[in-house]
Amino acid sequence: MKSLAFATISELQEKLQKKEISTQELLAFFIERFRTHDAGNINSALEVYDPEFILEQSAQHGSLAGIPGLIKDNISQNKCHLSCASKILEGFVASYDATAINRLKKNGALMIGRANMDEFAMGSSTETSAYVKTKNPWDTSRVPGGSSGGSAAAVAAGFVPWSLGSDTGGSVRQPAAFCGVVGLKPTYGLVSRLGLVAYGSSLDQIGVFTRTIRDNALVLSAIAGHDMRDSTSLCVEKKDYTQSLDVKLRDGLRIGVVDEALRFEGMDSDIVSAIEEGVKVFESLGAKIKHIELPTLSYSAAAYFILSRAEAASNLARFDGVRYGMRDMQAKTLSKMYADTRHDGFGSEVKSRIMVGNYVLSAGHSGQFYDNAKVVQNLIRHEFMQAFKDVDILIMPTHPAPAFKFGAFDVDKLQMDLQDYFTCPVNLAGIPALSIPCGLTKSKMPIGMQLIGPHVSEGLLYRTAYAYEQATPWHTMHPAGF
Amino acid sequence: MTKITKEEILKIARMSYLDIHDDEIEPMTQQLEAVLSYAERVQEVARLVNEPSNKQMNVFREDVIVRTDVNPILDQAPDREGNFFVVPAIIDQKKK
Repeated sequence: MKSLAFATISELQEKLQKKEISTQELLAFFIERFRTHDAGNINSALEVYDPEFILEQSAQHGSLAGIPGLIKDNISQNKCHLSCASKILEGFVASYDATAINRLKKNGALMIGRANMDEFAMGSSTETSAYVKTKNPWDTSRVPGGSSGGSAAAVAAGFVPWSLGSDTGGSVRQPAAFCGVVGLKPTYGLVSRLGLVAYGSSLDQIGVFTRTIRDNALVLSAIAGHDMRDSTSLCVEKKDYTQSLDVKLRDGLRIGVVDEALRFEGMDSDIVSAIEEGVKVFESLGAKIKHIELPTLSYSAAAYFILSRAEAASNLARFDGVRYGMRDMQAKTLSKMYADTRHDGFGSEVKSRIMVGNYVLSAGHSGQFYDNAKVVQNLIRHEFMQAFKDVDILIMPTHPAPAFKFGAFDVDKLQMDLQDYFTCPVNLAGIPALSIPCGLTKSKMPIGMQLIGPHVSEGLLYRTAYAYEQATPWHTMHPAGF
Repeated sequence: MTKITKEEILKIARMSYLDIHDDEIEPMTQQLEAVLSYAERVQEVARLVNEPSNKQMNVFREDVIVRTDVNPILDQAPDREGNFFVVPAIIDQKKK
């Protein structure tokens, strides 16, 4: 049964079709893996549902029929708890399905449970969860990354073949890189945000974790496409992204390597070598390599901090103890109830981001911070568009250093925030990016390579990554002990 | 380098409807100063260009009533009476 744990979605579907295993048996197998390997150990899941409940929710046929996956706990699943890993939403039960969940259910996918995360998706290590610390399956003294750390760890450890996360500044790609799996941040608007609890609404996208490119394309195909209930949803036709996969790169493919990213101060030398090796693989597969400068790259994190915190401050105003979630029952007046509930319900990282957001939006400061950040956002977007006139795809590292130890940034939180350095420019520009495994450090921790493309280029990103995957061994490597 | 006074922290906390305890002021100040001092750099490049922000486009749809059962939503309320949310007094009696 061991081989099932790391089987691809297609392999599992074949076993189901040939009736080598039933849907119930396959589900029981994965639930058992959470029981034996996750609970009290990796802690990727906040909750695993009852098999009867899981099976009742989904269609019996479809592109993902019978294939279990784990859902980040900021995506609504009807009748299930939704906590965003925050105390303020303790006991809250979602009353509808997110559009992505609805589409997965129609395609037969099985939602096995809720994944741990940084509180309200604010963090890069999953340490800010109010409930539990998720460990990196490759080295349990290290974090899985974040904010979608539970989703990444579960896929890496073979608890599920796929999971959903969300990515506002890198929260799918960075944990994917830390855990050695594939993570996609789609084009802004490709996947409906209906039912995704908002953090930075203009940057948030639901993303997909898998161990292989084909699996990732399968899941994206199920959830992507226009949704009239999300006004920022793109009017793109539904398509089957697996159709674009090919072991050969597109003829004449031009790849741009972002040089200053590799020269970034504090960049891990093993990561630089792995990316350089990766570029050589693409060259050997026939890609034309160019070197690209993105001068505004070094200002992106600053702009991202401002815009994301500003949006978070207004989005999180709704958690006030009136309509749902916890309430401080001692307060005698309404305003005291708001303030006390939010003091006790939010963790310190969330409070700090709300404060930063209201500071940069306040009279006297918005010109210096918020308005300038919007200008920088336009600049970086413009630079990406210019680059895509010369090349089809850009390559950058996903992360400056491998997964770090728990508590590494307890004192210097700014360094934790700078985990987003290579990923957040992509959110500012609204373009898609894929993090794929491209090697291991000397201490055997996974390394992620980021492929970035222009708007709605997911098909090309998948094709390019698939050719790389088929030519390299990284996707076959899994953490020991699972 | 952005410096933030205690008064500013308390003002922002009030605006944010966040109670902040005395022992939390100092670490909160440090955290805000660190992030804002880093974020300040947006001014350096922003001055060099004069590009207007992207025009946002409104998306319209018909305003159609969809009947839903309100009970699953009202059931989430910490305090409820019929179809209403119950909250503590809005006006502080003592401050009259």
